[in-house]
Amino acid sequence: MSAWVVLTRPEGAAAAVRAAAAGGAVTVLAVGPRELADAVASAGADEVLWLEPQPGFAIESCAPQVADLVAADSPQLVVGGVEPQVRALLGAVAARLGAAVLSEVSTVRADGMSFVLERAGLGGAVVQGVRTVGPVVALLAADEDEPVDGTAVGVRAAEAGATAPVRVVRTQAAATADGLGTALTVVSVGRGLRSRDDLAMVEQLAAALDAQIGCSMPVADDLGWVPKDHYVGRSGQQIGPRLYLALGISGAPQHLEGIRRAKVVVAVNSDPAAPIFRRADYGVVGDLYEVVPALLDALGH
Amino acid sequence: MTTVVVHTWARDPGNALVRPDGTVEWRSTKLVPGEDDPAAVSVALGIASARDDELVAVTFGDADPSWALARGAARSVVVADASVDEDEAGVAALVAATVRSVDGVDVVVIGDSESHPGVAGTVAGLLGWPVVLGASTARWGDDGLEVARRVAEGVQTLAVAVPAVVAVRADQAESRAPGMKEQLAARKRPVQRVSVADLEVPATVAATLDSTRLPATQGARLFDGSPQEAARALVGALRSEGAVR
Repeated sequence: MSAWVVLTRPEGAAAAVRAAAAGGAVTVLAVGPRELADAVASAGADEVLWLEPQPGFAIESCAPQVADLVAADSPQLVVGGVEPQVRALLGAVAARLGAAVLSEVSTVRADGMSFVLERAGLGGAVVQGVRTVGPVVALLAADEDEPVDGTAVGVRAAEAGATAPVRVVRTQAAATADGLGTALTVVSVGRGLRSRDDLAMVEQLAAALDAQIGCSMPVADDLGWVPKDHYVGRSGQQIGPRLYLALGISGAPQHLEGIRRAKVVVAVNSDPAAPIFRRADYGVVGDLYEVVPALLDALGH
Repeated sequence: MTTVVVHTWARDPGNALVRPDGTVEWRSTKLVPGEDDPAAVSVALGIASARDDELVAVTFGDADPSWALARGAARSVVVADASVDEDEAGVAALVAATVRSVDGVDVVVIGDSESHPGVAGTVAGLLGWPVVLGASTARWGDDGLEVARRVAEGVQTLAVAVPAVVAVRADQAESRAPGMKEQLAARKRPVQRVSVADLEVPATVAATLDSTRLPATQGARLFDGSPQEAARALVGALRSEGAVR
């Protein structure tokens, strides 16, 4: 029995290897620069293979070769993350293996000839145990940074193979809100805010916490109360502050993807059923117009 | 050549009732457009109209084909007896087989669903076509399609030769829903209903649901009491773990 991990970035490597270990000896296939392969060499795998796109080509161009390499070993379990590049590679692998594909996977357990994978269903409202008999491609739920401190194994370069016609034309640096991407604390506001003038209250709290201001998509996009480069979400800023304070934000999946890397999440919302409370570590069910002044008092401002 | 847009291929999680024991009851299993579907149709329409070819919409089960027809698709193919569930490889196999049944397709556009992130890549794998996921825009360039998407470093533009799959993420909510005129026009456009038996759906490994339960942690630790009491308790908790000074 063997298992493979396909990576295009180092974050989450150790967790992926741990999940893949249920499938036997683990081979990590690192697709990207040599530094990536070196960075994941101590993630606990039995072997690390390195594959680099041809100059000018995108990661996705490696999909046929990745499928060839993985399928040659006939693994029963292949693990990866959810960033677009790696999903393109895993799709090619799944098709070649005729594998089941499961996302939001948290754990994998071997059970005789089958695997039982636990995954978050319905946006995290339930945990599903799914059984597969035969090869399965598992897209892991989280890719948190964590120390990689296993014994480093040697990195072996894969030989060049088939290439898909996907080239990089250009990469334009994103316009990012000053400091939002690196802020230790972010106070973010959603549709619970009733008027643009009420932003002053939120700015006061942000100042008390030495925080940057973020917002949900409608506040920037539909209402225009906050600059668009401040909105946090899948198609906006993806941030990882130590503290993220969500005020009047319901927690749509689009928004939650932007705070996957946040360490401590606090939610203030008047709706106790708001999905943000499932992601949050701490919460207050209440009107932000009452809670924010109370927070300022509690902080001594 | 033909551009295909795939839409309305998943159930609405809002129709799932989670019982206290963690089991799930679906109050309706009707398929609904995904949050990325309007953006997918818009991108597909731009690709098709730029080379003056028709946009064919593909959908499944009890989905409403007029949803895409009202947004500009010329005709629709509905796999009427298709059962779509949470099995992402199964959905991908169905999509790929349906695309193969349409003549002359060289571009497939599909929403890059956050709830089903494995589908689009697997569709491309089954077709043997290159794919760009997480796309914001796509237009014709010198070497095929030029697809822009957000990555950690900024906005990346890729050139992908067709045939290809483009998986679109919505950057914003749909700005304008079709009006009465478009909806009436949609009813006159052709809808072809096919059966799963008419398609060559590739076999995939079955994934069967063994169990469902509530998450071990039921979300946030909530602070009760008056706003002042809750705020003091919250700040105390945040100070104790070093999140605030």
